[in-house]
Amino acid sequence: MPLSTQSEAGDDQYILVASLDNVRNLSNILKAITLNDHALFNATPNGLKVTVEDSKCLQANAFIQADIFQEFTIREDSVGFLVNLTVLLDCLTIFGGSTVPGVTTALRMCYNGYGYPLTLFLEEGGVVTVCKINTQEPEEPIDFDFCSTNVTNKVILQSESLREAFSELDMTSEVLQITMSPSQPYFRLSTFGNSGNAHYDYPKDSDMMELFQCTKTQTNRYKMSLLKPSTKALALSSKVSVRTDNRGFLSLQYLVRNDDGQICFVEYYCCPDEEVEVE
Amino acid sequence: MRFRAKMVDVGCLNNFTRVVNTISKLTKTCTLRLTTDNLFFMLSDKVANGGVSMWCELSQQGNFFDEFQLEGVSAEANEIYLELQPENLSRALRTAQNAKSLKIKLTKKHCPCLTLAAELPSLSSVSRVVTHDIPVDVIPRRLWQDFKEPIVPDFDVSIYLPPLKTMKNVVDRMKNLSQHLVLEANLNGEMNLKIETDLVSVSTHFKDLGNPSWGDDGSQGPSRDRAPEVMAHTRVDIKKLQQFLAGQQVNPSKAMCNIVNKRMVHFILLHEDVSLQYFIPAVA
Amino acid sequence: MDCMVTGGNVKVLAKAVHSLSRIGEEMYLEPQEDGLTLRTVNSSRSAYACFLFSPLFFQKYAPCRNPVFRCKMTVKSVQAVFRSLSSLEKTVERCHIELNREKCRLTFTLHCKHGLLKTHNLSFQDSESLQAVFDTDSCANVLRAQPRLLVDTVLHFPPSLEEVSVSVSAERVWFRSHVEEGADQSRAMLTELCLSAQEFEHFAVSHPTHITFCLKEMRGLLMFAEASGLPVSLYFDEPGRPVVLSLTDSVLEVSFVLATLSEESPPLNHSNSSAERKPNPPPPDDFLNDDIDSYLIAMETSELAGGSDCPPPPPPPPPCDPGVSRHRPREGEEEEGEQEEEEEEGEETETGRPPNKKFRSLLFGSVLPTSSQAANQTLRNQEVLASDSEEEEEEEEDPASP
Repeated sequence: MPLSTQSEAGDDQYILVASLDNVRNLSNILKAITLNDHALFNATPNGLKVTVEDSKCLQANAFIQADIFQEFTIREDSVGFLVNLTVLLDCLTIFGGSTVPGVTTALRMCYNGYGYPLTLFLEEGGVVTVCKINTQEPEEPIDFDFCSTNVTNKVILQSESLREAFSELDMTSEVLQITMSPSQPYFRLSTFGNSGNAHYDYPKDSDMMELFQCTKTQTNRYKMSLLKPSTKALALSSKVSVRTDNRGFLSLQYLVRNDDGQICFVEYYCCPDEEVEVE
Repeated sequence: MRFRAKMVDVGCLNNFTRVVNTISKLTKTCTLRLTTDNLFFMLSDKVANGGVSMWCELSQQGNFFDEFQLEGVSAEANEIYLELQPENLSRALRTAQNAKSLKIKLTKKHCPCLTLAAELPSLSSVSRVVTHDIPVDVIPRRLWQDFKEPIVPDFDVSIYLPPLKTMKNVVDRMKNLSQHLVLEANLNGEMNLKIETDLVSVSTHFKDLGNPSWGDDGSQGPSRDRAPEVMAHTRVDIKKLQQFLAGQQVNPSKAMCNIVNKRMVHFILLHEDVSLQYFIPAVA
Repeated sequence: MDCMVTGGNVKVLAKAVHSLSRIGEEMYLEPQEDGLTLRTVNSSRSAYACFLFSPLFFQKYAPCRNPVFRCKMTVKSVQAVFRSLSSLEKTVERCHIELNREKCRLTFTLHCKHGLLKTHNLSFQDSESLQAVFDTDSCANVLRAQPRLLVDTVLHFPPSLEEVSVSVSAERVWFRSHVEEGADQSRAMLTELCLSAQEFEHFAVSHPTHITFCLKEMRGLLMFAEASGLPVSLYFDEPGRPVVLSLTDSVLEVSFVLATLSEESPPLNHSNSSAERKPNPPPPDDFLNDDIDSYLIAMETSELAGGSDCPPPPPPPPPCDPGVSRHRPREGEEEEGEQEEEEEEGEETETGRPPNKKFRSLLFGSVLPTSSQAANQTLRNQEVLASDSEEEEEEEEDPASP
């Protein structure tokens, strides 16, 4: 039930109001990008974009379009703020993390502008929780300058198959090496750990491989600690696209369906640890 | 001094186990008091010193046991007080869940013990027998006065609790955000749980909870002249509240709390023949 | 070496590896003509486990012939190959194990559904053979049961319990928690489970006795046994001689050999037990042995303040054979005729794991990898679990033995 009965003094002062009948449609996707506490919120009339970064080498973004929300009112071209993501998630899940069938928690998220806290109204079964979370001035997100014209290799895989590999990755390996090639081994994840190395190979004709467009053989290494958290996004998604550009930068894009079957996107960008070009 | 009891009914065994499980989640050590009519699990970490205290009463009238024989310390003091770790009792009961019969008795092995012996189903005509010896300390009579039943405090507001599961979910999350929580309620059946830190403030509002009537005239007992919308509140350590809520295994038939403004919260849970009282003191 | 495991056997292999990890940190791998053995031993050499997979277990089996190959690697690295047991059955079609001698790599390749290929190149070290020689035929007592019975039995004991004592009579067996002497002994909860011989598929006790061994290690075997559904056999006789737990079928033989405490004497805490006489069933259900009053009187008259300081309890009730020594021989007390005496040369005292200090037997001799003269080691140098035959001959004059 939307919180239409909630009369808020100064309701017309809010520069951003977003409502959801089911808060999980926001909290779940945010869980997929919890790399650290700092989250940058950027709202435009198109919807909400939430960005989290790690050590200037990794960026995770979650996109929730305006039409996912039951109400999405924005009074400016762009509204941005920085907020503690862990605290926000604790508030969004205040009535518990797991779902009870038939019971949903409704959310109304309001923001008054710079200097004001982010205000959340959550309601479940007649019980109302009000949260006010302090915000900070937004920062400029890193521009990884990843554009599709520079993409050398691209595959789209069903998340299910990649999920198993990611959960088994040898964490004693400092790097995750990704090899993409028009010839064998096609798509390979490799680790180099304490007791040896491991390779996970996906052939181009596997029924898990929805798209295979590799133009040249490329092998790149990325820090394991940066990529391991993307496992969360993998768990939520049904498909993932893996692309590398001519610099070896990695782009992972996840297609996520929420509880109501609507589509949202999560993407990760990662810089290579070192570049190994293998002909 | 002797104690011996037997349980053959699976339902009683399950009930008893659930109570012991709850107690074991609330405290590491407690005192078990055995009388001919009741069993008590008690903990008294002086509330004045910031500790919680607990009083759980099981009425024998509820027929937990089929046989019950007690010979206390003396004829006038026909009771036994034992200090034990409820986790041991809980563990012993857990392995006896499908027992055909369970005997409990006070024994002396290498030290005084509460011995549980369960007859379990087996693949043959001979039952399996599992025995657990739980070490206990016998508490001498001169210390019994430390374990008096707590009196219901002079509270400011008494109110029925919201569904414990909802309360627990909210408190679990609040615990991630703050060390302390304010619990407040009024005579209009409204209760709030509030936390506030530099980063965030969260308040959860429950309504239409109802206020129990104490005293014969249906009034609120000590709080007769209180304006119904005025909140009585107490600030408590969230961990203690969370621990109390996490221990609950069963939806009580009656659950309420009494708030003594700025001093303590007194919880009372009733379920069939078991009553549990839990006191959480205020923090500064 | 080149082998292929298919279908459900991949999970069996995986379970074996996980089971070995409960005993030791290194896995010794030896492909021979009669099958592939995977073995391990714990750090104090008081527990040994061996899985022998016959060539029939494999779809293809080609061991190394010339020269013979023996290696060891960390069990963790092999566990990493078989990480999620639950999905193994559903996703892995076959597992290929291949040796690359030049690169010193043992390669496990899992061919999975959807064309996914998982390749693990594990490094290993050459090693000597790890072998325990034991003779189950000479054991006085043999029990065999469905794994479910033993799994249900150990469930009654807390996961933290290190050791368990097993006593047998002609008709019954008792499993009892074993608690070390020490500060905590009087405060520990003690559990005892009594089973009748009828619950076992086979129950042959020719020498009623009482042994104590590491429960955690037994759980390692039971974990595998439960999944396999194969009956578990226990072979044992006197305290001090190892207990052997084994299961077999047409393609697999599993043996766990665990040291037992030597020289049992009745624990101070249990009035029911004694090694010298046949263990009786628990006393009839009455109060005669459980009189607290005298204890209470002792307490009330004690000078100590507060109720929870217990004065030393009065001596335990009668049924202890006065001839039995009250003290366990522990570190430092060398008994004559102890077969393990010889093996203690070169034994390093382990400090990390409490229960192993008490197990005096060192099951194996020098399989420590300090030197790499693997090729010249013969069985003679590799000491054994079974008792030294010279000493035993005198003891075996016992007319009670079969």
